[in-house]
Amino acid sequence: MKVIKIDKKEWTGGIDKSREKYLLFGPVKDKDVTNKEHYIFKKLAAGEFPVMEGVDTVLSPKSVIFPQTEKILKSSLDQSQPDHHIMKRVENDYSSRAVIGIRSFDAKALTLVNLNFDTKDYQDPYWCDAYKATTFVGLAVNKPSDVDFSTSMGSGPFGEEGLDVLLVDNGEEFLAKVITDKGKTFLDAAGFNKTADESAVKKIEDLKAQAEKTIADKAKVGTDNLKNKTVLDLYEAPFWDDIAFSCINCGTCTFVCPTCWCFDIQDETKGKSCTRFKNWDSCMFPLFTLHGSGHNPRGVKTQRVRQRFMHKLKYFLDKYDKGTMCVGCGRCVQSCPVNIDIREVCNIMNNYEPKK
Amino acid sequence: MANLFEHIGMEKERLQFSWISSAEAGKFTNVATEVANTIEALGPIDKFVKKTD
Amino acid sequence: MDSLTQKIREIASNILKEGRVDMVIGFAKGTIPMTTKPYMARTPEQVENFIWDKNCTLNLANYITGRKEKIGIIAKGCDSRNIVNHIVENKISRDQLYIIGVPCSGMADKHNPDELRDNCATCTHRNPVIFDVMAAEPVEEQKIDDPFADVKAVEAMDKDAKWSYFEGLLQNCIRCYACRNACPLCYCPTCFVDESGPQWVGKGQNKTDIQTFHFLRAFHCAGRCTDCGACEAACPMDIHVRAFTRKLNKDSLELFGWEAGLDITKRPPLDTFNPDDPNDFIK
Ligand code: SF4
Ligand code: SF4
Ligand code: SF4
Ligand code: SF4
Repeated sequence: MKVIKIDKKEWTGGIDKSREKYLLFGPVKDKDVTNKEHYIFKKLAAGEFPVMEGVDTVLSPKSVIFPQTEKILKSSLDQSQPDHHIMKRVENDYSSRAVIGIRSFDAKALTLVNLNFDTKDYQDPYWCDAYKATTFVGLAVNKPSDVDFSTSMGSGPFGEEGLDVLLVDNGEEFLAKVITDKGKTFLDAAGFNKTADESAVKKIEDLKAQAEKTIADKAKVGTDNLKNKTVLDLYEAPFWDDIAFSCINCGTCTFVCPTCWCFDIQDETKGKSCTRFKNWDSCMFPLFTLHGSGHNPRGVKTQRVRQRFMHKLKYFLDKYDKGTMCVGCGRCVQSCPVNIDIREVCNIMNNYEPKK
Repeated sequence: MANLFEHIGMEKERLQFSWISSAEAGKFTNVATEVANTIEALGPIDKFVKKTD
Repeated sequence: MDSLTQKIREIASNILKEGRVDMVIGFAKGTIPMTTKPYMARTPEQVENFIWDKNCTLNLANYITGRKEKIGIIAKGCDSRNIVNHIVENKISRDQLYIIGVPCSGMADKHNPDELRDNCATCTHRNPVIFDVMAAEPVEEQKIDDPFADVKAVEAMDKDAKWSYFEGLLQNCIRCYACRNACPLCYCPTCFVDESGPQWVGKGQNKTDIQTFHFLRAFHCAGRCTDCGACEAACPMDIHVRAFTRKLNKDSLELFGWEAGLDITKRPPLDTFNPDDPNDFIK
């Protein structure tokens, strides 16, 4: 595998150069009117550069591919038009884009969402077009956060799944591991083409081992038994009420999560035009799976909380056989207002033995 | 409510209250004209209006 | 161990043993620094999980809405005021509750453990206003010269500055509704933003829809909000949600001499009519 060396002094120049061919997205610092600071993933304006210090963003970068609100169809309500009431796809921009500084677990998360939106039988065109147009330039996590448990969930601070390039911060330079041709094309467009010498691979392995050890030292999340449990045993397990007690059924955990893919469809009309939108939904909300009849199979809190954990840690695993639908980013652990911690829940599920 | 309007930068005069009996036709026309005049003087609102494209 | 924690566990364990309550609601330690988790103990053994520290930022009154059991609840000043609201609004009856009052010395800011959070810095009701037993001697109440200085600063802005301030406040809101759901006042079975027939507000990320949610939610809390700060404690995006409710709290105080949740015999001002109510807004 090829490793390219990028001197940090040449970084901004290269990024600027890449803008000729790519729309760029990345983490930037945002300060609101009350002076509170956050890092958010967004489209970079001219002259704006991604923060490359390995910052944690409250929200995952999934919105780059799957915006919280996305216009999908439009129609005219004007009866005099021949095509009135006929829904047509909205023209969105799917030109080449690159997400710079995305973390390994987030890139992996998007591959999991892709399993759901790009199947043999159905392809969600909005997702597929955006996903295919995007090059993922990851940044390895040298110093994992306290809530990062990605190594337990089939990803890791230096994971390569879903990435086209993996950048590794090595002091004065980035070592860029070229993973796919798409990645190579991006690096070429940025003019990054100095091949690193042999020692780079070793350096990357060292940093990787160090970062993985940091996580392994504190995160102990077991997933090995999940597969062998039967769905109904877990579903009927007695612990759900206790887990759900403190939950306030907000959408925080699912909105910050890089793998939550549920959406809701809404129509809005104004005058003679109608627009159809796709909005993020959450299994925590009272309207989620509410039937037209008024019945809701997940009408109470415990059922909603169970849905979230069962989907992430059991249903998905059984359906796709690609591990859990949690990549261990830790965002929900950090942001849940009542500290419902998926690491604990996962262990409870993993260790559960039904009483016979 | 009007105070909260004002607090976020809208003109408080856009929300007016009056107590008119069904027998007070005169008062009704007066108030209606006055409301219309105040709002006209304020001009079209540019805040809190949903814009779609 | 901290003596308050000790005392809380002792009282909770006793009332469970005596069968006075079916459960006690309090706080347990969180899994990451500076967090706690609302926790329900049903047995005297579970009581050992209770703790009390500077991170008990949520409002436990939120967990008693509509419950049928006999409940022991740990209440700091603001929780107790929301319990009063709940009783006045018939969300729970006084006889169902055994209130363990905890005099509060203020909760920590979620990003600066050494500072008081914003609402605690101007709180003048640190001692529970209603309780069956106190876990400690009352603390001295703060004397605040100008509790609404922040609101006045906004009032002093011109209208365009106000508008851009409020637009700026909400620009990062993701509509997760953690603020609403953490709020003990927001117990409507179907919130107006979730209503679909008629649909009052669009459900996407349109900024006017987001503003409408916040504007109207605040108004639904007028004369009821205790400034407990649960909304802001819950918000993942650190949005200053209280900027709206604080204005209404100031107005309630100035127009009606009212502070919410102090007396179980009085109904909130927007819920009653009094010939002395200010009415110069009516032509
Ligand atoms: S973030 Fe926490 S409180 Fe909110 S819905 Fe998720 S688990 Fe429940
Ligand atoms: S469930 Fe939580 S930890 Fe897992 S991927 Fe989603 S946000 Fe991250
Ligand atoms: S069902 Fe819940 S956990 Fe699963 S993707 Fe949807 S929102 Fe996420
Ligand atoms: S908790 Fe924060 S982000 Fe969520 S809806 Fe409320 S203000 Fe918006």
